[in-house]
Amino acid sequence: MKRWLFGTVAAALAVSAVAQTPLPWSDDEVKAIARHGPWPQPSPRDPSNRVVGTPNAIVLGEHLFNEPRLSADGAMSCATCHVAVRNWGDGRARAVGRVELDRRTPSLWNVGYAHWFGWDGAGDSLWSQSIRPILDPREMAGDAARVAGLLREDKTIACGYERAFGHRPGGDDEKLLVDAAKALAAFQGTLVSPRTPFDEFRDALVSGDREAAARYPPAAQRGLKIFIEANCSACHFGPRFTNGEFGDVGIPFFTRPGEVDSGRLDGLAKLATSTFNLLGKHNDDASGASALRTRHVQRLHSNFGEFRVPSLRQLGAGPFMHNGHFATLDDVVKHYSEVNPDRLHSDALPLVRPLALTVEQSADLIAFLRTLTAEAPARPTPPALCP
Amino acid sequence: MRFLAALIGLLIAVPAWADCPLDLGRGTGIVVFSSHYLIAFRPEPMRIEVGEPFSLLFNVCTKNDKPAELVAIDALMPEHKHGMNYRPTIVSLGDGRYRVDGMVFHMPGRWELAIDVRAGEESERLSHELVVK
Repeated sequence: MKRWLFGTVAAALAVSAVAQTPLPWSDDEVKAIARHGPWPQPSPRDPSNRVVGTPNAIVLGEHLFNEPRLSADGAMSCATCHVAVRNWGDGRARAVGRVELDRRTPSLWNVGYAHWFGWDGAGDSLWSQSIRPILDPREMAGDAARVAGLLREDKTIACGYERAFGHRPGGDDEKLLVDAAKALAAFQGTLVSPRTPFDEFRDALVSGDREAAARYPPAAQRGLKIFIEANCSACHFGPRFTNGEFGDVGIPFFTRPGEVDSGRLDGLAKLATSTFNLLGKHNDDASGASALRTRHVQRLHSNFGEFRVPSLRQLGAGPFMHNGHFATLDDVVKHYSEVNPDRLHSDALPLVRPLALTVEQSADLIAFLRTLTAEAPARPTPPALCP
Repeated sequence: MRFLAALIGLLIAVPAWADCPLDLGRGTGIVVFSSHYLIAFRPEPMRIEVGEPFSLLFNVCTKNDKPAELVAIDALMPEHKHGMNYRPTIVSLGDGRYRVDGMVFHMPGRWELAIDVRAGEESERLSHELVVK
């Protein structure tokens, strides 16, 4: 009886799998979907960092990433908040360093492809962004002398440095801090998220493989249609599902009574005064081309309350938004379904407007978003820095 | 086609404009004109990608063959009424030619390019729509 039942169920499942067909997609929709791939993209490049992509710098960077001695009290490393098994975040609404911070720890997946870093874009390179938490008194509270001392005095790390940079650590503390950050950036640049069910569907659709496309769940297909029709890809653009810029999507910006997080507005002020920005002496790109965005970016009143558009790949379990305002993906979709347009101060066609989704449509949109995540392979133990 | 015919007609009718070189190094670019100005421009690289910096190469001519100046360039998305997050810079290359650096269209869709030109006391804004995908 059991065997018969099992056989019947298996047959029914097989028939339903065969019978499943992709939804009809117009040429424009296929083009829109195609723009979200292919994935993965070619390895990230960063001319401002002379060691990016080099194996020895990547190994040094991974060791430094896990090194608590970079912090003032030896208790905190980059990996304390950027946890591999938590999508390189920490799963908290707000990051916790030496104190609780105002923003969520951003995921490091695909961070090497970005051109602005941090929720406010105060960093214009991954290496300059990697310096910020090391020096921030609320986070690792370190300093250049501490980092330089570690690179010079720890024999294994000094050996790793020599392998990565081709010479022994020198006497300039600030330069060694920057080199440590460039190794950290080299490592983080390798954190490319895996291919997802969406990528399989996208490639099948583009190549006209209906059989392969039909394997993509119907709910996810319906959700993808909503995503396209709602013009979500105006900001969540391209293979990373982000245009890498900034927006105000109606999330409260009060951090506590009487205090606001002005986001991009403050980030641009910090960028302009940073000695580590790409206009400074630590940029390895003699052509100056890598500093083009930094040279031309403008600080506008409209930057108030704007935060970086996050990628939708490897979303994880939440919380979400720059300050962890929403605990679940359902909450995020509900926000976009019901957002108050008056809050967004737009006198034109707003980029964010209430989608007024039904329960079923919300579920479909979430089903689509879930297909932008895949299980990442377990990370191997980092190779030895020096024998 | 109709545009091309109008342009050819215009060039024949106004001989001075026939001297305005529309070839910007890699074939004729986009042409914008008014009763006073004829402007040719092309992006570099030729294909504008969403979120990627690009430059614009300009050749600015006037009807009466007086020297003209490219004063400012801006772009906005008319539907959303927002401009670029970047402020471009203009470099004169001489003989009415200009290079504009630091353009970034950070969203897909329709962008309106605003081109401010001046010849002596006379200034004018010409515009052109570009759609990036």
